Amino acid sequence: MKVTLATHGGLAAGINIRLPPRVVDTATLPRPAAAELSRLVAAAKAVNASPAGDERARDAMSYTITVEERGQSTTLAQSDVTMSAQFAALLDWLQQQAA
Amino acid sequence: MSSAGRALSCITPPHILEKLLDSDDSDIRQAALNTLLTTARLRGERSIRASLAPSAAPANGRRTIFDCQSSTSLPMAVLARSEDGSASTDDSINRAFDGFGSTRQFYQEVYDRNSIDDRGMRLEGYVHRGVKYNNAFWDGQEMVFGDGDEIIFTDFTNSLDVIAHELAHGVTEHTSGFEYHNQSGALNESMSDVVGSLVKQWSLRQTAEAADWLIGSEVFTPGIDADALRSMKAPGKAYDSELLGTDPQPDHMSKFVHLPDTEEGDNGGVHINSGIPNKAFYLVAVGLGGYAWEAAGLIWYEALKASTVTTQFEEFADTTYFKAEELYGAGSTEQEAVLAGWREVGIRITGVPGRSSAGKRAAATGGEPDMAALTQQIEALSTQVKELAQDVRSLKAGN
Repeated sequence: MKVTLATHGGLAAGINIRLPPRVVDTATLPRPAAAELSRLVAAAKAVNASPAGDERARDAMSYTITVEERGQSTTLAQSDVTMSAQFAALLDWLQQQAA
Repeated sequence: MSSAGRALSCITPPHILEKLLDSDDSDIRQAALNTLLTTARLRGERSIRASLAPSAAPANGRRTIFDCQSSTSLPMAVLARSEDGSASTDDSINRAFDGFGSTRQFYQEVYDRNSIDDRGMRLEGYVHRGVKYNNAFWDGQEMVFGDGDEIIFTDFTNSLDVIAHELAHGVTEHTSGFEYHNQSGALNESMSDVVGSLVKQWSLRQTAEAADWLIGSEVFTPGIDADALRSMKAPGKAYDSELLGTDPQPDHMSKFVHLPDTEEGDNGGVHINSGIPNKAFYLVAVGLGGYAWEAAGLIWYEALKASTVTTQFEEFADTTYFKAEELYGAGSTEQEAVLAGWREVGIRITGVPGRSSAGKRAAATGGEPDMAALTQQIEALSTQVKELAQDVRSLKAGN
């Protein structure tokens, strides 16, 4: 499973727009980490709330997480002001992993 | 109070109330008299309050800071500091509190604006949002700060211009309402950068020439090679490094960056193309010299209030030109500086001296009114009338 994280907007939008997406491949992870990622992805996919943010929000960031698995691709997209707890947990994991 | 009396306490114009004083119905006569008396008392109270304002303790725009304690959930945040409470041992909390105070005081003293909505809206801030969160934002009602990852970014409460930038988004929402995409969105972002820089300059009593015109210079960690998030003086020059890339902001319309109106495209480049009106404001401010919040800032603030949700760069430029004329006269130094500032970023003023933008558009379209602008004005007036009616009802109820 390959998981790609792209970050958009925010005060540093000019920087974020130029940054390449972060990619995590479970094939390169230790087994416990790969299992944890799979669990987080499944939880986020199960909720898969509407990607729309609050239209009044300014300088909030939004995130696109693309999950590629067994030839299928799923896109999850949420923003700072509306993300589900499950999406937040997956986002946090990906950001810590890529740091 | 009868239903007739309650109806009379609404938005009935004075001349109708006076006519009702001659009614054969004593209840109607009494209700009309009461309304006229309380309205007069209301006007009197307001004029007294206005005369006392300079010496009155700030009761409006009350500040409250909450600590998210690394959670991303605002409802779970704990109260950290209130308007009348003592300072915190947490510097982030105190910086947010002080930054709100400076911005509030700036709007009140410089533009006679009572907090974000000009009605004393409470200022609420949430610090320590998330873990290593590299951002700060305005969510429509309150400001939220991250601590930064301490690798590239540090605590966002460190930057007064960032704090003022975010609160200014609230002001824009209560005035023009610039839609947050494409050119209107870039104006939205630019207006916040303008106010962010002005509040910093005002707090330091800096002239336009002495100011750094940088946005977010304090949010980077010391080891990062970057001047700031953005430079109003030199869009495109705020940073240039392998780590951050090159500042993508244009400083001229010929370099306008066409991006899709999507999240990935920064909603049509609102944070990017804001460089163009930012540069225009900088040029006007430096062209005039002195304190930028005085003439240049006032022109921009008045133009903001005269704009609408879909205002584009050219229309906004025209409005600043006409506002400069209204404030300082046709052919004034101020108006000439506005003309020159926009011209240098590749935007020509299309208005005719002495005509308002609406009048010019009306003339251009054969006299048809600008419906979007009229609609917004009517909505604003309707809100004001409803608020006045509420005030009168409260007074009548003895509140």
